[in-house]
Amino acid sequence: MAQSELESVINLCKMVQSGKIEPFDIDFDYVITIIRRHYPNIKFVEDFCLDAQAIKELSSVLERQNQWIAHQSSTLYKDPFMLSQSLMRMDIGAIADAFLKSWHPLLELEQISAKTLASSLGYWGGLIPFDERWTEPDVAVRDTEYASRAEASALGYLPEEGFMDVIEAFWKELGDRVGPGGSIEYWEWIGADTYEDTVYRSFLTVFLVSYGYANMNTDRLLEETMIFHNSEPQQDTGRSKVSLPMMVDYEEWRLWRNE
Amino acid sequence: MAKRVRGAEKAYARKVKDAVHILFFKHHKLPGVRGWELRQELGSDWQNVLDVLDKQLQPMDLKVNRVFDEPDVIDPTRTQLADARYYITLRGTVDQKTAKTIGWRIDDIAGLAVSVAFLISKQGKAPRIDIERVLQEKLPGWRVKLNMDKYIQQGYLGEDDEGVMYLNWRSRAEIDQKKLVDLVVAFGKTPT
Repeated sequence: MAQSELESVINLCKMVQSGKIEPFDIDFDYVITIIRRHYPNIKFVEDFCLDAQAIKELSSVLERQNQWIAHQSSTLYKDPFMLSQSLMRMDIGAIADAFLKSWHPLLELEQISAKTLASSLGYWGGLIPFDERWTEPDVAVRDTEYASRAEASALGYLPEEGFMDVIEAFWKELGDRVGPGGSIEYWEWIGADTYEDTVYRSFLTVFLVSYGYANMNTDRLLEETMIFHNSEPQQDTGRSKVSLPMMVDYEEWRLWRNE
Repeated sequence: MAKRVRGAEKAYARKVKDAVHILFFKHHKLPGVRGWELRQELGSDWQNVLDVLDKQLQPMDLKVNRVFDEPDVIDPTRTQLADARYYITLRGTVDQKTAKTIGWRIDDIAGLAVSVAFLISKQGKAPRIDIERVLQEKLPGWRVKLNMDKYIQQGYLGEDDEGVMYLNWRSRAEIDQKKLVDLVVAFGKTPT
């Protein structure tokens, strides 16, 4: 019973959001008494969630009521009934005329410049013909062979330095930049000229923190993340490790770079 | 001193020229450019450059127009200015004859006008079915669906997953909503 009533409240509020009913068609006081009446009887998490959703949807209705008042007090407001009656009275030509008097179409041109033509010609020149591009690869059966570590490195299958060397060099870079025990804002630290380099620095930073070379502190309220340099790498205390999912959003990187 | 002034004037003229290139020619799938793109190309005084360009475009019946992501911004912040979209639009309006030559049928224009006016009266949001019902009073059903899809595709109207329509970026950029509503309401009334 309580569940179905709360669901009805949620559906009713959603109808306001979708414009099916007007915001002031909802009697706020009455709806809040329904929510209040059921609150003391909540026992299960699902019911709490439903209650929270009902509150959230009702607050959206309040927001829409506020917007409605702002809209009505604006110069744009005209009585919807009057407006629709006017529209019905007007013939198609009159409506089109009214629209054209308030329409300022935008302009945009497409143009091929001499520069684009020149670079396109360069591209065409470098393009390999189809018959060459689609030739079957020359594949031959070969026995497996052995390669030395140096040969594998030369082929790019193995990094030239060990991963820990990379991490230690990165730790040193952090120390040089902020001083022993110093701190730096996350994006200031990982941000690089290219997006690929930024992702790579973020990847290394996660290991820097996991291996105890640095600490990370996130202030969720200010949405600010700081990286703290550890003068001495912290020993593994045997506690379970925590994974740090860090998002390096392309748009965020672009905004950071433009600042 | 005079030399320095001449240098500054030259630099400004170059920036106005750059602004013309950025704003007039198509760069993205959607028309217009973001404020931060203009800042990147024109420098920190990009808004002054746009003011100068707007003045120079005035005799040609064109203007630099700005649309914010949020519909009701009055006193924009720096971030809102950087995120806003800038366009070149006609300063004046077009007549029916010109509208036809740029590919608009009178039915299409009237349908768009009704949809926009209806949405404004509903605070910018209404179910698609309600708008279609209004349009069907004067246009054939098949044409209504076709037109609605066209308005959505051209960016005048938007539709969310639940079939709720809203005024999209192009309506905000091109249509003087207040004037449209005033003209519709004043229809048939003799001016005093």
